[in-house]
Amino acid sequence: MTEFFNDWGITALVFLPLVGALLMMLVPAKDEELHKTIALGTTVITGVLGGFMLWDFWGMGKANWSTLQYVQDRTWIDVINARYFVGIDGISAPLIALTLLVVPLVLIYSWNHIPNPGNAKMFLILILVLHTGMLGSFVAQDLVLFFVFFEVVLLPMYFMIGVWGGEQRLYAAIKFFLFTLFGSALMLVSFLALYWVTGGTTFSIPGLADQVAAGDIALGTQVAIFGGMFLGFGIKVPMFPFHTWLPDAHTQAPTQGSVILAAVLLKLGTYGFVRIAIPILPEAAVEWAPWIGLLAVIGIIYGALGCLAQTDMKRLIAFSSVAHMGYVMLGIATLTPFGINAAIFGMVAHGLITGMLFFIAGSVKDRFHTLEIKRLGGLLVQAPKMGWILGFCTMASLGLPGLAGFWGEFPAILAAYSPAEGISTTLFRVYMVIAALGTVLAAGYLLWLLQRTAFGTPSEEFADDPEIVDMHASEWIAWLPLLVLIVFFGFLPGIIFDLTDGTVVDRLGSLVAEGSP
Amino acid sequence: MLLNQFLGLAAILFCIGVYGVLTRRNGVMVLMSIELILNAVNINLVAFGAYQGDVGGQVFALFVIAVAAAEVGVGLAIVLLIYRNRRSIDVSEADLLQG
Amino acid sequence: MVATLLGILAQIEQAPFVRPAIDWHAVAPELVLLAGGALVTVFDLIFMERGRKYIPTLTGLTFLAALVPVLTLWDNGIARSLFDGAYITDRYALVLKALFLLSGYVIVLMSTNYMAEGDYYDSEYYQLISASILGMLVMASSRDLIGIFVALELISIPAYLMAAWRKRDLKSNEAGLKYMLMGVFASAIMLYGMSLLYGLTGDTKLRSISSAIADQGTTPIITMAIIFVIIGFGFKVSAVPFHTWAPDTYEGAPTPLTAFLAVASKAAGFVALMNVVLYAFEFQPEIAEPFIWLLSAATMTVGNLIAIRQTNVVRLLAYSGVAQAGYMLAPLAVYEVNGIEASASAVVTYLVIYAAMNLGAFAVIMAAARRTRSGEIDSYRGMLNWAPGLTVLMTIFLFSLAGIPPFGGWFAKFEVFRVLLTGNTFSGVSLAVIAAVNSVVAAFYYLNIMKNMWFMDAPEGTDQSKLKIPSPLVAALAITLIVTLVTGTVLAGPLRNATDFLAF
Repeated sequence: MTEFFNDWGITALVFLPLVGALLMMLVPAKDEELHKTIALGTTVITGVLGGFMLWDFWGMGKANWSTLQYVQDRTWIDVINARYFVGIDGISAPLIALTLLVVPLVLIYSWNHIPNPGNAKMFLILILVLHTGMLGSFVAQDLVLFFVFFEVVLLPMYFMIGVWGGEQRLYAAIKFFLFTLFGSALMLVSFLALYWVTGGTTFSIPGLADQVAAGDIALGTQVAIFGGMFLGFGIKVPMFPFHTWLPDAHTQAPTQGSVILAAVLLKLGTYGFVRIAIPILPEAAVEWAPWIGLLAVIGIIYGALGCLAQTDMKRLIAFSSVAHMGYVMLGIATLTPFGINAAIFGMVAHGLITGMLFFIAGSVKDRFHTLEIKRLGGLLVQAPKMGWILGFCTMASLGLPGLAGFWGEFPAILAAYSPAEGISTTLFRVYMVIAALGTVLAAGYLLWLLQRTAFGTPSEEFADDPEIVDMHASEWIAWLPLLVLIVFFGFLPGIIFDLTDGTVVDRLGSLVAEGSP
Repeated sequence: MLLNQFLGLAAILFCIGVYGVLTRRNGVMVLMSIELILNAVNINLVAFGAYQGDVGGQVFALFVIAVAAAEVGVGLAIVLLIYRNRRSIDVSEADLLQG
Repeated sequence: MVATLLGILAQIEQAPFVRPAIDWHAVAPELVLLAGGALVTVFDLIFMERGRKYIPTLTGLTFLAALVPVLTLWDNGIARSLFDGAYITDRYALVLKALFLLSGYVIVLMSTNYMAEGDYYDSEYYQLISASILGMLVMASSRDLIGIFVALELISIPAYLMAAWRKRDLKSNEAGLKYMLMGVFASAIMLYGMSLLYGLTGDTKLRSISSAIADQGTTPIITMAIIFVIIGFGFKVSAVPFHTWAPDTYEGAPTPLTAFLAVASKAAGFVALMNVVLYAFEFQPEIAEPFIWLLSAATMTVGNLIAIRQTNVVRLLAYSGVAQAGYMLAPLAVYEVNGIEASASAVVTYLVIYAAMNLGAFAVIMAAARRTRSGEIDSYRGMLNWAPGLTVLMTIFLFSLAGIPPFGGWFAKFEVFRVLLTGNTFSGVSLAVIAAVNSVVAAFYYLNIMKNMWFMDAPEGTDQSKLKIPSPLVAALAITLIVTLVTGTVLAGPLRNATDFLAF
């Protein structure tokens, strides 16, 4: 088994969904049940395979988590030294697990929620392609390979928003596409620049990190290259002021699209910082850290204030994403192992919680055909179970201790108390205070959302609507795992912290050696 | 060896030809102008060949003559086709396609 | 004068004609294609109407048969030189020959139903295509001005005829006329440049020309010769400002032929340009490079800006093809610092991938035209409903053209950028910036087509039943799809290795 994992494991994991998609292309479109079965079956098989691999990875013990496991390093494009180089370590493992979990749940939810205008075949194929792209981005250890997978994600999402989205879908889809395309173009340029300044011998991430550490590249060059990556990843996160595509994309995307976008796609940006930008260019990261921190706290406050101004439930959740990703970025900006561990935990927690919130928003929309907050109300009366789940998720989202959200936000704020060597401590303590203030605002808007949608009496227009029923079976199956995990990680956050800590310390390299122990 | 005179003649022919292509609107006249350019080329090639004492130029000129004949044959066929369909060979009237 | 001529004659008499040794294996692909073309003609003459439906298959098989010696030569791996170096069969030539033959095959597949259903003379059409492809094979190997000229005309003259193939359609007549006049004019200008080159060096072989003018620097006459020759090829590859024929001809000509012109004929133009620039002007970069730089920058910018305004898919692809030619010219503007091998590899890599994705896009257009009977972008609305497969294919080809991974196009562009940026020269970096901005502009109009196909509803009263696509067209789509997919992913490395012409 281990031998299989070592030789083929990751390749099988990444490309299984694509095989499923190819299989589905051969099946005629009218056989929707079969399509759903194949799609779900493929992702479950992928999930099981991934589960075994991660279990095996877990079994290797803490000492081995920081080295890349199941590495495959094969020739790909010889002349430019781009290789098919993939592997899993402590940073990617939690995110791979998140992806493997969320996609099957989305497909279960899709069982009787194919959005208009139908065409289940195409919709499910796009989700499977997306799956391959996301898994590939998390395992790639070569910049060219990473870039390819990073772009693969773009296309299915564009079509999901554009075809199955809401009324403003054209605008949202094109905005999403052009923003991300612009970012990734700059990212590619900085990858190429990095390749040349290190002598043009490798695109592998560990290799480049070693070369930058060993060589004497002018700090100015490093800062410029980091800037390119910053734009590429920052747009994807999204950081203030590049966040404007997100509310549009989220509001217009179908539920499944929103969930995947919130749960996994946004993490590609932050993952890029943790995996690529900071380990390769630590010195430039120190220069950039105050700015990243600044934009992060602006994002936190701006997102929270934005939430208070929203009238649409989905848009509100989207703005809360901007705020939450602000905490993640603040954790990253401290450049300490503590902060980055918190950031990775924050990514997973945000994926679970916000994914859940978008699921609920989708179901509410299905029943009420609107997401306007002022027309909703009394969810607890009409659909009590769903109402309580909404309550639970808002609590998790505002960072209630004992639920997963807490462990993403609190340590990130704490980490800002003492950032890495070379970064202004005073500045980051100011950021810390502002970020802490953000949690209060978060509590404000989330409780306000809860109060106006779940509490109270149903508005007259929906009072006797027979379509408004409580949870469907498919919703239970899709949501339960997420809910359980939110509680589970709330009580046992150590599992993820243990997993990531060694790797983060190892990847930060010089930053840790110079800074505090 | 009077190389310069030959080259001068060729250059003049070339210029007349290019001028003709750019200004004439009659399909046949455009083809004739192109023939002038090709003849300029031939004069050049033969003159240079003789000057350098090399047969390559003459051989090249023979190829040009042969291929030009084919070209003009095809060209006239297309002009004739247009004339049949349209009763005119004015190039500027061929303006269905624009952009 | 008379004395000189007599002298030459005397020379000839002294050295009786000796037949040069011919390496038959090296010219086998050309000979197979020639024999196949003759066979098709004879077959048509014998069986007349009864044989018509086998002609496309026969032509296609001829192309595949000619591919066999290409593969054996590749396997053999030795660069072969004929006629004193005027005709060379090396890896560079072989990659291009394979490209031309496969493109030819795909174009035959695309033509099959179009020609059979359109009441045209079909067997002559296939004979002309064979002739034109034969010219391309010769072009790939020619290292001599005469060879290049003859090959170029062998490619072009049949194409003039085919552009006017829809005899009774005025648009097609016009397409043929414009293409023919422009093409002949361009070859005349090119020939004038060639005659000057010959005069300067007394030789027609590119290598000899290169070494003869190596130390002559940049005299006006050399400058003039180089610029005339590049202008001549500029017409063939539809570089701005010599592109005006392309959109008109593309729209008016029969669609398979448009694909042929946009892909195979353009590729042949590039091969000619590369051969001349890289072999003969190797030591004159100070003239050739700035001129090509200007052509490249103008071509991509103007092509894209006009493409945005197009409402007809064929014209849009024509202008996008103009812009793509700009990207392909770019590596030739920096051949001095990179060495000619690097530039040639980037161009050939681009040509291969471009051929696949552009032929694919044209095949989709042809398949869709069976329903829409129009090339307007509006008529593609709601295509997701009546032809989901075609929609996905078109999406893949267009994204590939826009250079988005994982489809082949990104690798083609990547190679161009890499070559441009390698030397870290001002001209290279500035051209790369222009190209990058242009890629984003191009993404915009490709997205516009996709928007119509995916997001818009079909207008009322459109036939919504699923579209049936004839099998030859399906085969063409399958071939181009596979090439587009693998060149961007698993085979990107091998493709780049195959175009690594260290033995250039």
